[in-house]
Amino acid sequence: MKHVTIPSGADLSALYRQLAGDYPKFFKMDVLSKLGFLLTEMLVADEPDRFRPREDRAVLVFSREGCVANDRHYAATLADFPSPALFVYTLPNIVTGEIAIRNKYEGETSAYVLEKYDEKRLWALVKEAFQDRITQSAVVAWIDCLSDTAWQAEAWLVTREEILK
Amino acid sequence: MTKVYCTGCGVVTPVGDTPEAVFQAVRTGRSALRLYQAGPEPYVASLLSREGFDGPSFFEDIAVKAARKALEQAGLEPSCPRVGLVLSTIKGNVELLDREDVSLAASAARIAAALGMSTPPVVVSNACISGLAALLQGMRMLRDGAYDHVLVVGAEVQSRFIVSGFQSLKALSLQPSKPFDAARDGLNPGEAAAAMVLSGEKKSPWELVDGAVRNDANHISGPSRTGEGSYNALKYLLPLVNREKLAFVNVHGTATLYNDEMEAIALDRAGLLDVPVNALKGIFGHTMGAAGILESIVSMLACDKGVVLPTRGFSELGVSRPVRVSAQEMPTQGSEFIKLLSGFGGVNGALLFRKGGAQ
Amino acid sequence: MNELINELKLKVIDALNLEGMTPEDIDDNAPLFGDQGLGLDSIDVLELIVLLEKNYGIRLATPQEGKEVFKSIAVMAEYVAANRKK
Repeated sequence: MKHVTIPSGADLSALYRQLAGDYPKFFKMDVLSKLGFLLTEMLVADEPDRFRPREDRAVLVFSREGCVANDRHYAATLADFPSPALFVYTLPNIVTGEIAIRNKYEGETSAYVLEKYDEKRLWALVKEAFQDRITQSAVVAWIDCLSDTAWQAEAWLVTREEILK
Repeated sequence: MTKVYCTGCGVVTPVGDTPEAVFQAVRTGRSALRLYQAGPEPYVASLLSREGFDGPSFFEDIAVKAARKALEQAGLEPSCPRVGLVLSTIKGNVELLDREDVSLAASAARIAAALGMSTPPVVVSNACISGLAALLQGMRMLRDGAYDHVLVVGAEVQSRFIVSGFQSLKALSLQPSKPFDAARDGLNPGEAAAAMVLSGEKKSPWELVDGAVRNDANHISGPSRTGEGSYNALKYLLPLVNREKLAFVNVHGTATLYNDEMEAIALDRAGLLDVPVNALKGIFGHTMGAAGILESIVSMLACDKGVVLPTRGFSELGVSRPVRVSAQEMPTQGSEFIKLLSGFGGVNGALLFRKGGAQ
Repeated sequence: MNELINELKLKVIDALNLEGMTPEDIDDNAPLFGDQGLGLDSIDVLELIVLLEKNYGIRLATPQEGKEVFKSIAVMAEYVAANRKK
């Protein structure tokens, strides 16, 4: 299975220009969504028909911190004018939506929060997601954002055969 | 495939702390929605009383209370290593953001410890469909053989953080919400906790048949104009539904302009316009992480009593498709229902419940 | 008015994270929403409502009102000039 990572503290804008460059909404995203977006670009850039709408691919994103880093940004606007553009990113699953929108993935999307990175549990949950009879492949990611500059970010592109073998 | 049954339920809500009490509130139209003046702008919400509470986390407190009720009804010893825990919430302890480790994972671990559970929890946080996605996760764990029983707990408490956010999105109504009504103008935040014990043992007639989660792949906060994800989630279930036994679809019905219209389109595309539809948020608001579980529990009880519950706040149809919204309570012979939800991030979920023969 | 137009462009670019854009890139009369022009969406409307309140003390009650005011930078500037409280 294909596996990619983004080192903690990497220049995400530079990476975006290198990998995509045609999706200005990127700059509106919180760091969790930016990482999910870029990891997926790295996984699927060379797939044929990559923007054809498909229901058979799931997006499963795992973390410990969820969107707490962005929660703090939004909370900082509460004292005067709460920012709707920050508020919409105060949900751990928005990253899965951003990946789905970019790539037209109409399948299952899900955000899971675990107490720590636990390979065995993560892959058990991925395997369970394949109980959906339509799902044939999945973008799986562990993206744990401690702040806007410190994170763990890795992702895999997996198929039903690889997971259920 | 392993059949999955609901063997225990527990609720903590502003309209009652038993499924029966909540059912009666819905039946008689007794709403907990009130106008609150706290903060810079007033809002209408359904909030729990915090009188006498002095613990570290109100959110975890109500989650544990609802869980204990469900465990008790199921007659289940939570410390058994064959019992799993799935927590559903959107914002957990966010009201403590300045003071605590508000990670949902930390909350889940403390809830598991308070219940005396010995297995590590997982949190499913899929915006407003979290409760439904958590139930589906619990079903999958049972079918995978990971556990013999799974406790699924959903809870949400409201705070300035959440309320101000929905205000900034202009998504809140200053009156009790009016699902599917022509005069609907927004949702009301709600607080609640709800729990279900799922089991492979047929100790209850209620089966969770299957469910699906689908993304609109359209916009992170605006529902699809074609109801894409909601329709696709319904489409997944249709081959499993006994149409003549389908009592109703309990929709999300947040009473925002776009959500209800989107659901109407999805129901139309799924060929479900002849099926009664109801929404419960005019009673206890939008309980977010608890909604999927709480609304499913009330819907099971309604089927048990042979009724389609009324939709408080609804009087004149305000969506573009002729959806059969139940303004008044109606009798039903049906023994199945679909729970439908949608949320930010473009997620949609549908889950099919079926009441089998007597145990 | 030209000064206000330029000020608004800078504030819009900043508030909506229009990365790499300068005031010169925004036509005064081009539509802000829809497929032409800047292609802004429903969340951007809400963020512009915040921008008006924060900078000019103007409160818009609904996003529908916003759609009228935010037709173009020129329309927005006229509205601000006529209604600003600070």
